[in-house]
Amino acid sequence: MKARLIILWVAVGAPMVWGVIKTLEDALKLFH
Amino acid sequence: MDDRPGYTTFSSLERQSTVAPPGFNRFLVPPAALAVHLSIGQVYAFSTFTLPLTRVIGITHRAPADWDLKEIGWVFSIAIAILGLSAAVFGRWVERAGPRKSMFTAALCFGGGFIVSAFGIHLHQLWLLYLGYGVLGGCGLGIGYISPVSTLIKWFPDRPGMATGIAIMGFGGGALIAAPLSVLLMAHFKTAASNGVLETFVTMGVIYFMFMMIGVYAAREPAADWKPAGWIAPAQPKRLVTTADVAVDTAWRTPQFWLLWVVLCMNVTAGIGVLGQASPMIQEIFTGRVPPAAAAGFVGLISLFDMAGRFFWATASDYIGRRNTYMVFFLLGILLYSTIPTIGQLGSIPLFVAAFCVILSMYGGGFAAIPAYLRDIFGNHQVAAIHGRLLTAWSVAGVLGPLLVNHIRQYQIDHGVPRAQAHSFTMYIMCGLLLIGFLCNYAMRPVDEKYHYRGGTQS
Repeated sequence: MKARLIILWVAVGAPMVWGVIKTLEDALKLFH
Repeated sequence: MDDRPGYTTFSSLERQSTVAPPGFNRFLVPPAALAVHLSIGQVYAFSTFTLPLTRVIGITHRAPADWDLKEIGWVFSIAIAILGLSAAVFGRWVERAGPRKSMFTAALCFGGGFIVSAFGIHLHQLWLLYLGYGVLGGCGLGIGYISPVSTLIKWFPDRPGMATGIAIMGFGGGALIAAPLSVLLMAHFKTAASNGVLETFVTMGVIYFMFMMIGVYAAREPAADWKPAGWIAPAQPKRLVTTADVAVDTAWRTPQFWLLWVVLCMNVTAGIGVLGQASPMIQEIFTGRVPPAAAAGFVGLISLFDMAGRFFWATASDYIGRRNTYMVFFLLGILLYSTIPTIGQLGSIPLFVAAFCVILSMYGGGFAAIPAYLRDIFGNHQVAAIHGRLLTAWSVAGVLGPLLVNHIRQYQIDHGVPRAQAHSFTMYIMCGLLLIGFLCNYAMRPVDEKYHYRGGTQS
């Protein structure tokens, strides 16, 4: 059950983290 | 009936097949909802396709036979309109069918919408885009948006705001994934004979269908008598948290439904208008100091706060109460909007950015806390269906917000107001809208007992 929980959260969380990082990269241009 | 993982047969889509076994970890359910909302949140990044769709024939430039921007703009508008409409129409079906069947239907509609649209691009038939992404995809948006709501509330009776906040945060986060993903895919598929948008539509249709199937696979309903371990329902519930239920067809005849409708509509109108105008707004207020790339960064930053606010404020609402949370949105919103013109005159970009980050966090929070607010007022019984009908407020706000902001700005410029100051009056109008929302929220009272559901034929 614990492994399934981790796999599920990673599966949906990883694309979200990728999207957040990509957006932050753009957002940093505001302060350059 | 086989309910083993991986055996998602049609019979296992039925509500009775989704009841979780004893010992099931309830934290497996939020990722299911998140998978669906992260996918359908793609709609907010549809603008990445706007320009490429006007160059399907010309590839590098717009050929005379290519579609124009106005024609393509309708695809997004139809999808958003159908979102509200389908959530309202199919809400009762979603309650009856359960999370798995409704998520599966949403996946078919949303993924299928991309594929039908790809055919439209291939045959260069615009109506297929309207039908595919607009109507079919729009149904996927509406059904997908409300499908996990009542399931999450049942799993988290102790923290309904946090649970629905996680899901609805996904809708905000969907655009953050879809925008760079679309750009990457179009660049990957680009050839001398294609600008890559057709292939990207097919790929995204398949990717989103499969990603939403994670939600279908993981969705579970709790048993009827299930409660979180160690949790006891409060013996003395709060005044605005009902222990009764109100059926959907009764709910929208109550004043409470329409008060909440206005609360959501005003909160969304105030946020969505500036969200759409954020890039030109910061460039015009700080003339010559914010280049377009930095303005795009500003849009990205406030989108992040929109997403984070969905989780933060919905979770906070579990502790400070739903009505108080919206009081904060409206009062803090009025304070921040009214100081924006002064911040603009002071020329402080960091203060301006900070103010809008907080404003947009409350815009997202307004979406995310509303399912739990509905649960508090109308009970669990048909909360997803009631939520579906309330989302018509979003459709209205989606038209009203940008219309107000664009119209007021243009009116000011046409009457000789400098561009840097053309947004000031808009901010005061937003304060007025928030004041209406504040008054409606202040007027919220428990639903009269005569509206309570006492069992019977309604399901």
